[in-house]
Order: sequence, then C-alpha cells, then structure tokens
Amino acid sequence: MSQKSSSQLTRRQFLKVAGVTAAGLAATPLLSACRSVASGPVKIGVLLPYSDIYAVLGESITDAMRMYFEEVGNEAGGRQIELITEDTEITPDVAQQKARKLVEQDEVDLVAGVVSSGVLMALRDYFDSSKKLLICANAGANPISRSLKTPYIWRTSFTNWQPNWPVGTWAAENVGKRAYISVPDYAAGENTITAFTNSFEAAGGEVIGVQRTPFPNMGDPAPFIAELADAAPDLVYAFYSGGAAVTFVKAYGEFGLAGKIPLMSSGFMVEEDVLPAEGEAALGVFSGLHWALLLDNPENKAFTAAYKERTGRDANVFAVQGYDTARVIVEMLNRVEGDTSDVQKMIDALPGISFDSPRGPFKMDAKTQNPSQHIYLREVQEVDGELHNVVIEDLGEITDPGDDSLG
Amino acid sequence: MAAMGNVLHTFREWSLRHRKAVLAVLVILTLAYPYVVRSYWLSLAIEVLVFAIFAMSLDLLLGYTGLSSFGHAAFFGLGAYLLAYLTSTSELAWGITDNLLITLPAVMLGTALVAMLIGLFALRTSGIYFLMITLAAAQMLFSIAIRWSSVTGGSDGLVGVPRPVIGIGPLAVTIASREGFYYLVLALFLASWWLLRRIADSPFGWALRGIRENEQRMLALGYNTFRYKMGAFVISGAFAGLAGLLLAHFFWHAAPENLYWTTSGQVLIMVIIGGAGTLNGPILGAALMRLLPNFASSYTDRWQTVMGLVFILFVLFAPQGIIGLLRARRKEGE
Amino acid sequence: METFIIQFLNGLVFSMLLFVMAAGLSLIFGQMNVINLSHGAFYLLGGYIGLSMVRQFENFWLSLFLAPLLVAGLGLLIEYFLLRRMYGAHRHLDQVLLTFGLALIAADLIRWNWGAYVESVDPPPQLAGQVAVFDIQFPLYRLSLIGFGLLLALALWLLIGRTRLGAIIRAGVSDAQMVSGLGINIQLVFAGVFALGTALAALAGVIGAPVLNLYPGLDFEILILTLVVVVVGGLGTLKGAFLGSLLIGMADTFGKALWPQFALFFIFAVMAVILLIRPSGLAGLKGT
Repeated sequence: MSQKSSSQLTRRQFLKVAGVTAAGLAATPLLSACRSVASGPVKIGVLLPYSDIYAVLGESITDAMRMYFEEVGNEAGGRQIELITEDTEITPDVAQQKARKLVEQDEVDLVAGVVSSGVLMALRDYFDSSKKLLICANAGANPISRSLKTPYIWRTSFTNWQPNWPVGTWAAENVGKRAYISVPDYAAGENTITAFTNSFEAAGGEVIGVQRTPFPNMGDPAPFIAELADAAPDLVYAFYSGGAAVTFVKAYGEFGLAGKIPLMSSGFMVEEDVLPAEGEAALGVFSGLHWALLLDNPENKAFTAAYKERTGRDANVFAVQGYDTARVIVEMLNRVEGDTSDVQKMIDALPGISFDSPRGPFKMDAKTQNPSQHIYLREVQEVDGELHNVVIEDLGEITDPGDDSLG
Repeated sequence: MAAMGNVLHTFREWSLRHRKAVLAVLVILTLAYPYVVRSYWLSLAIEVLVFAIFAMSLDLLLGYTGLSSFGHAAFFGLGAYLLAYLTSTSELAWGITDNLLITLPAVMLGTALVAMLIGLFALRTSGIYFLMITLAAAQMLFSIAIRWSSVTGGSDGLVGVPRPVIGIGPLAVTIASREGFYYLVLALFLASWWLLRRIADSPFGWALRGIRENEQRMLALGYNTFRYKMGAFVISGAFAGLAGLLLAHFFWHAAPENLYWTTSGQVLIMVIIGGAGTLNGPILGAALMRLLPNFASSYTDRWQTVMGLVFILFVLFAPQGIIGLLRARRKEGE
Repeated sequence: METFIIQFLNGLVFSMLLFVMAAGLSLIFGQMNVINLSHGAFYLLGGYIGLSMVRQFENFWLSLFLAPLLVAGLGLLIEYFLLRRMYGAHRHLDQVLLTFGLALIAADLIRWNWGAYVESVDPPPQLAGQVAVFDIQFPLYRLSLIGFGLLLALALWLLIGRTRLGAIIRAGVSDAQMVSGLGINIQLVFAGVFALGTALAALAGVIGAPVLNLYPGLDFEILILTLVVVVVGGLGTLKGAFLGSLLIGMADTFGKALWPQFALFFIFAVMAVILLIRPSGLAGLKGT
C-alpha cells in the first residue's frame, strides 16, 4: 500500500497537470499573435443565445445586426467591421465564460448582445471591472439603468419599466378599473407588476390580485386561468414571453376568456415571434411596446421588407433592437473616427446619439444609458388574413426615470 | 482511443524513468501557469479546479460509498449562497465579512450541517429512491432560491460578491487579481485532494468501500453503516460547499442555477466519465466537462450532439471512465 | 366550491396526461430495472412527429397512431444496439450516462430539425369545442383526455393483469432470472417492454401537445415530472403509476392554485414525505 503512494503521486501529478499543461501549450502559439489595435478591423464580440428557448431572439438580433452592417458596407470610422459570435445559452456562468473568451482571448473592441436579464445582471460586475464596453441589445433589467448602473453598459433596447408604465394609464382610461396581473415569478415579472400598478392606480384603477406563476416552467396553465376566471376582473394584465406566452394565451382562449375578459400585456407576449403559434386566441389583445410590425414610418417599411427578404420571416422587436444596436455602434465609431483604443472616448460618444429608427425617434439618454423612445399601444388584428399588431395609439416619448420612483 | 492510450503510455513510461525531472518541470509549469498563458485560459483553469473539488466530493459519496446522489448541487449551491450572504455588498445580504479565514470554515460547517439534516432522511433509502430523494432536496432548495426573491434575490441570484481577503488585521491581503485567485484555488484544490485521499485510504474509507460492496455483510460484521454513510454524506457535502464558495467568489455572484438538477447531473457525469471511486478520475472528468462544451460550441452549433456522442462512446468503450482507459493501457504494457 | 370543482377537473386532466407519460417509464424501471433518462426525449419526439404529421396529412388521429409506432421502432433499435449491453442494477451509472447522452443528442437534433420556435398543435376538430361547467367554458379536448387516460389505464390493466404476456411481464418485474429459467426468451420480453414504454411516451407527446405545446427544453421538464410520479407511485406497477399520477397531478394543480409561489417546492416536498413514510412508493413492490 505504501509503495503505491509515491507512484500514485507521480501519476496524479502527471494526470492533473497534463491537462493543465496541454491547455497551456495549446495557448502558447496564440501568445505570439500580437495584433495592433488601430489599423485592423473593429472586432465586435456578439454574446447571444443560439441554443435553448431564446435561440430565436439570438438569431433575430444577429440577422438584423449583420443586415445593418452590410448596409453601411461593413465599415465605420474608417475601419472594417468583424463580428465574433458566442453562444451564451441562458446560464449566467456560461455567459461569463464566453464573455471572458471574447474580451481576453479574442480581444474584441467591444461587446454587443445579451438577451436575458439574469445573464445581464451576472455580467455586470465583469464588464465593470474589466472596463470593457457592452451594448446591451435586449435584456431589460431595471437596476442596470438605476441602482447598479455602470459606465460600461449601455442599452439600445428598453428597461422592463418602459413598455409597462404608460399602458397602466391607458388601461384605466380605456378598458376598466379593476385589473388582475399575471406574470412569471422572476425579476422581469416583478418589474412589470410595479410599473403597471404605479400608473394604473394613479389613474384611478385598482389591482385586485396578482398571480406569480412558476418560472421558467409554468407547466399546465389551467389552474391559473381558472383563478383568473373566478376573480372576474375588468381586465387581465400579463407578461410572458417565448413558450410561456404561447401556453398562456392559448389556454386563455381555450377556457373561453378571450373576448370575455380583455387581455392586455407587455408587447412581448404577442410579439411576431409567438403570434403565429398563439393563433386566434390572441385576437384583440392590447399590448404596449416600443415597436410594431406595421408601424407606419419610412424606416420601418424599408426595414421590415429587407428583413423579410433576407430571412424569409417577419421582423420582430428583437430584430429591430439588433438593427439599432448596429447603428449605434456605427455612429459611435464614426464619432471617434475608428479609435477604439480608449474606452472612455467611446463612452463619451454615446450620449446624444439620435436617429430615426424603425421604431420611430431613437435617442440615447445619457442619464439612464438607455433609449428614450415612443411606446405604442397596439392591438392584435387580422390584416390580410394574418394576425399582426396594429398601432392604435402612440403613448408618447417615454424615458426611464433612473430610479424606482415610478415603479 | 487506442492510439491515444499508446501515446500516453509511452509518455508515462518515459516520465516514470525520469521521475524527478518530470516532477520538477510539472511543478514549475503549474506554478508559473498564470504567467505562461493568457488570462482566458487562466479563467478556464480556475473553473476546472473548482469543479474538480466538487467532483471529488461527489466521488467520496458515489464512488467510494456507492450512494448515487442526484442532488449534490444542493451543497454546491448552498455553499455559494452562504458565501454570498456573508460577503456580498447587496442589500439582501448580511455582508458581515469577506475574510476567508472566517467564511471558509463557516460555509463548510453550514453546508455540513444541512447535509446532516438531509442525510437523516435521505440515508434511510437507497438505490433509485436515494437518487430521487436527493433530487427532491436539491429541487426544494432551488425553488426557495428562485422564488423567495425578497430574501435570495430570486432568479437574478445574489450579486455583488467581492473577491476574498485573507489574513488578520494589518496582515490582511485581498486576493483581487485573477493570478492570485488561481493560486488560492490551486492551494485549496491540492489541500482538498490530499484530505480526501487521506480519508479514502483510511480505515473509514475502507469501511465505506465495504458498504459499497455489500452493506449487509458490513452490518453483520458489526458496523453501524448508517453512521458511516452519514459521515461520507456530510464530508462530501462540506467539500461541495467549499467548491460553491470558490465559484461564488470567482463569478461575483451566487445563482439559482448552482442548485438546479442540471448542475447535479453535470457533476454526476464528471464522476462517471472520469472514473468513479478513484478520486483522480473525477478531476479529469471535470476538465473534460468544462472544456469540451466550450471548445465544441466555438466550432459547431451541434455541440450538444457532440457531448451526447462522447458520453455514449465512453459508456460503450470506456465504462471505467478515463482512469479506466489509462489503467487498461498500463496493464497491457506490463 | 365551483372553483374547487374546476380545479379538481384541471387536476384530473393533468393527472391523466401524467399517467400516460408515467406508465411507460414505470414499466421500464420496474421490469428491466433500467434508469431511462431519455424518456422525456421520446415524449418530445413523439409530439414533434405528431406535429409534422398533422401538418402533412391534416389528420390528428393518424398521428396518434403512427407517431408512437415510429418512436417505438427507434426504441427497439436503441434497445438492441445499445441498452442491451448494460442491464442490471450494478450498471445503473452506465445507463444514466447512456440515456443522458441519447437525450442530449435527441434534444439537439429535434431543435435542428424543427427549430427553436414554440410550436402549438390544435386539437382535432371533433374535440375542439367547449363544455360549459358552471361559469367557465371548459375545453372539450381536456375533458376527453380524462376519458382517454382512464381507457388507457383499463387497457393496460387488462394487458398486464389478464393476459399471459402480462403475467410474464409481472413475473419479470419480480424475478427476471426465474422467468428466463422457465424457457421464456427474456431478451425478447425486455425489448418488447422497452418498445411499449417508448411508444407510450410518444403517445403522451402527441396527446399532450395541444395542452403543453412543444419547445426545446420541454423534454427535461417532462422527465423530471415523470420521474417524480413513478417514484412516488412505486416502481414497476401500473397501480403505482396511476396513483402517483393522481397524487402529483392534484398536488401540482392545487399547489398552483393555492400557493403559486411554492408550487414547485410543494411537489418535491410531497415526494419526499411519501418516500419517507413508504420507501417503496405508494404501491411499489418491496425490494425493488
């Protein structure tokens, strides 16, 4: 037994360090590759989910980003643009690993992407401490624009507060005064509750109940629908996305509530990516969002046509965000004349970037590092035999307050 | 597989002959690692070492005692959350101290206590039922972590975990750099390995092996097998908690995913593929499971199919795991 | 009171769906003593094949019949080439690795072929209406699931309890060696049971699609739920699968209705309690 221990020690060391050494040796050739910063292409790391349930979002954003870059000839600030994509899945730890790869291994000049709020929250400390710029193309976690703001994360998408708050007022004025809220039990769901309740109650409404459903897996929605039917509110305000949205909306229709109790939501629940699967049950649903497929402005008409031709599918809000992300990056690069060596210079170029986007006027708000944008009240209607979101009212330019005062 | 085995075999033959020199080179490489490779590889190495501790802890329970747990992530995640509560600057946390001299024993003790509580119930069952009860325990902790947002931070987890501090008073040092953290994790890894080896090769460890082989016989011999199983459960839980502590420090947060059954599944696979009951095998299993998806996903979108194929190939051709492969080669060579 | 009845109905619907999923797994666990982590994958595969068939032939009933057959064929191949080498309790870890690997591959290939979008399936036109139950319009399809589940339970009970084949299977659950000693080709029986188990999973996928939809990740959700049902009910018996489905189906529904925030916790707590009181499950065989 004792004789084994010395050879075991050698073998153990051998085995363990073989792995580590192999990794090290494999990396050595990369040490010699020393790329100059100013003249080569601008490397943009793209951190998005390409597998699992958010894959559609990741693909939409990427397709639209590439589309915009191609429109400007893949060039900005006098340099070529190169994209390096990495799959974050939806696990925060994997996302951090991939972020490190992009920043430290691939040495990208900046990073774009991030779909889920959980991942964004997990990455916040990393970007803050490594002083690398992240342009967030989707995740709406409120704290990133409020208490946990860092100079290195800027958004082209929204805060979870934005699409919900103005709808509360509209609902109280146009639909009814007694609302029941149904959301998945996680941060974005909580943000929905506080934002909607704040303005709904300020406009004279009353939230008679809140149901927080299991996240991420709701399972069978029947018990929740039955609860809503039993409460008989004037309206139901919900927020679901992806698979849960389809499940919820369809069950709402199956149990005969569609058309009986008005259903309202944050726009994601009836966005173009889930609308086809929801079918007729989604007819008549009111939702608030910073964009709609049929939004009537020249940029949107051009964008949706080009996107459809490129991918064969209708555009969705995530694609618009990807498109605008690419534009913001290009405008920023033009302002710094391609000099990505100083991250502070890039950051200083971001506030005040404004342009006409498919979503309407886009303005980068300096305080919240998030866009000021119009929120549209939409209704699902049948248009030429297909279901789409039609804008019935423009709720005006909405800017996140930068704190929790309004929910 | 055969060719790889042969190469490794030749390498080992050569290295055994020049034992001292090889050892010296390996030690130097390990210590100099942070300065030889790029920061990203350092990151990966740290992850591998942390999961190696996690996998070794499960091996004590699974490989040596024969108890297949599908809920080991419970202790891993618990370690991460306990550490987060103790150190995080978030308003949800207690934020008492970030001194490792306090947090390390506190977290390991806390995880050990919870392991004892769970073990009191779970260890009454065996086989598939033990598998499911441990799964249930972990899932219950997960559901608390992800639902009780006002206490645990919900789906976002507990963020704001700082890097650790070691020392007392004026001699306290913050391990702020990644290189420093690597040495810390390396040291704890080696210490864990050494301790677990000692335990596995002690009379206690041999009793565990006896229980794995034939619990009835051990009972007949007068062993209180419940106490031994509880001991294994508690020790493995404590070391899993240590791994969780290190992960939380490294990623600056504790997340509900750390408690989720997929994490339990991952570490289970690490042990099986590495080679259960060898302690060294799970180290390799951890390396494989952390590095392979990383590389594969950069080359192909079908990386999960690749992973699945790897598992199946192992089951068919290397049922004793990586260690089994290496041992078989050595036997053939002799 | 009315809400209670509605929720009770909801619970029954979900229980019957669980039963169809769990019956197959219980057989595989019980008869072959095999841990099968790819059960959820067979469910999802069945569902997606059903989806394609409905789109192609516009006939739900056809897919109800064909999809399980196709999947059972796949199950036979897997059993013959892969699973057969690793029977026995001492090979449990190998089974875990193998079936987990298969599940990963299946999930990835499903996503590759059908995409990552959430897909929904409409119930067949004959069952698309609603039935008024108190104030609520209860979907006819869900009610029919209750009937379907009960019918299936009856059919399986007859098969297992009243036929010679069933006797062989039951004997095999208790003592495979003995059965083999009686001159019966136990390999064939195992293969048949595995095929039946996977067919049932696929069937569950087809009938479950109009209720739970189809998306990547559903396979593992189903797997965990089914494992809980099977273990709570007791391995290897139909009665166990039935009782387990009822208990967990009701626990899930009422958990969601009464304590939505801790519904998940509740299910696993119920399982833990059951296992502690009755370690072999509600109707399990001792020593399994």
